[in-house]
Amino acid sequence: MARFPGKGLAVLLGCLVLWEVLARQSGALALYFPPASQVLATLAAILGNGELLDHIAASLLRFAEGYALAAALAVSAGLCFGLWRPLYALFEPLIELLRPMPSPATIPIAILFLGIGDQMKVAVTVYACFWPILLNTIDGVRAIDPVLMNTAATFRLGPWERFRKVVLPAASPQIVTGLRVSLAIALILVTTSEMVVSNDGLGFYILDRQRSFQIPEMYAAIVALAMIGYGLNRLFLTLDGWAMAWHKGLTRKEEIL
Amino acid sequence: MSHLWGSRWSGFGFLLLLVLVWEAAGRYGWIHKLFFPPATKILASFFQIVASGEVLGHVGVSLWRAGLGYGLAALVAITLGVLMGYWRVAYESLEVVVELLRAVPPPAIIPVAIVFLGIGDQMKVFIILFSCAFPILVNTMDGVRSVDPVLVRTARTFGLRQGALLWKVVLPAASPFIMTGLRIALAIALILVVISEMVGATSGIGYFILDSQRSFRIPQMYAGMLVLALLGYTLNRGFLLVDARLMAWHKGLTARQR
Repeated sequence: MARFPGKGLAVLLGCLVLWEVLARQSGALALYFPPASQVLATLAAILGNGELLDHIAASLLRFAEGYALAAALAVSAGLCFGLWRPLYALFEPLIELLRPMPSPATIPIAILFLGIGDQMKVAVTVYACFWPILLNTIDGVRAIDPVLMNTAATFRLGPWERFRKVVLPAASPQIVTGLRVSLAIALILVTTSEMVVSNDGLGFYILDRQRSFQIPEMYAAIVALAMIGYGLNRLFLTLDGWAMAWHKGLTRKEEIL
Repeated sequence: MSHLWGSRWSGFGFLLLLVLVWEAAGRYGWIHKLFFPPATKILASFFQIVASGEVLGHVGVSLWRAGLGYGLAALVAITLGVLMGYWRVAYESLEVVVELLRAVPPPAIIPVAIVFLGIGDQMKVFIILFSCAFPILVNTMDGVRSVDPVLVRTARTFGLRQGALLWKVVLPAASPFIMTGLRIALAIALILVVISEMVGATSGIGYFILDSQRSFRIPQMYAGMLVLALLGYTLNRGFLLVDARLMAWHKGLTARQR
């Protein structure tokens, strides 16, 4: 596994100490800039009394629903578009029109039709995550080496076998790329939709504590959110390393000395 | 008829059909009388807000914020990325901090930025800078680290100094990665300018759209989204043009032989 990042942890510790010292010296700014130790103590307190856990659970549930739904929809649609060109030609102008629009712009529409509850937040997350996965899946299917397909045809693989044994594995690295991009986007959209209108979730909690001037709580929740983001990313990389081990073994570059 | 199937025109025909269905759905209130206005009404509102210049001011403000944040992010992140990709010590020292900061979803930084910078332009530029920096940084770093060692050694053999080596060998070799980072960051800049204008602002296209919804000027809300889509499309196209021009040498070099 990865080597122990000694220097990195030392620099991180240095940053925390600098934060602590600066915050203690800041005087009038102290209200906005609590020392690191206070933020960490607050984090422990709001985690301990369960206040934060409900918000974390609400956000994670929205994240999971939106991300999973987007992945299922976008991978299926992407495979169809990638395999069947006329279908893509039919939808291309629509895709080109919708794709570049920044996804948070759909929040107001989602509010109109779905209200301000969970449905709205999940729908917005699905919409935002859909595009990177879709486009990467289409690209992945398109980029399949024709030799592979011809070989499969030579060996008389049926359509289903060809799909399962050639198309899916060959497109999977690109699909995984799309899924990784969308992971970060899903967190952004869940947080944003909770900030724009909500009464629970981490995004709501962070903005609400800022507005009620409970600044240490605000920082503590941001630290918690960062840890969740980091954890989800790690989890993704682990799953990716496990599921795509065959691919990494196949494409590893020979070390040139 | 069959030659149309699969051609470019099939797509535009389909789009036109969708617009017609939208028009009918809006006119007859199939979906919702108030929330789903007919396409013609949205288009009329689009021309009206463009002609009156109302939306242009908002677009200008948004573009200024996005451009400044994006430009600063590119400057900071490419510099730092080259440093971290080239010098092992810099990478080992900063890796943990970068990984931690990168994990924060940028909207979560908005309240902090409001506390320190208020709700003006500075806050938005900072948010865009923060969120665009990481994709550029990580891609630049990867690009620099994947430069073929043979290139670097050849350059050293020919007696290139450190500065010339970075400028003439490392940067060009890493530039496809840097462009990838810049392309991802462009989309993120647009997302974050809209978000920051929705959370705390009195101007900008994100504010315009959310404000139209809150004051129930629904056709205007859709028209604002259309403006935003066109803006995103134009910026994307512009980026691809610049990319094609700057990276023509690279595409020529790596074009596969038929």
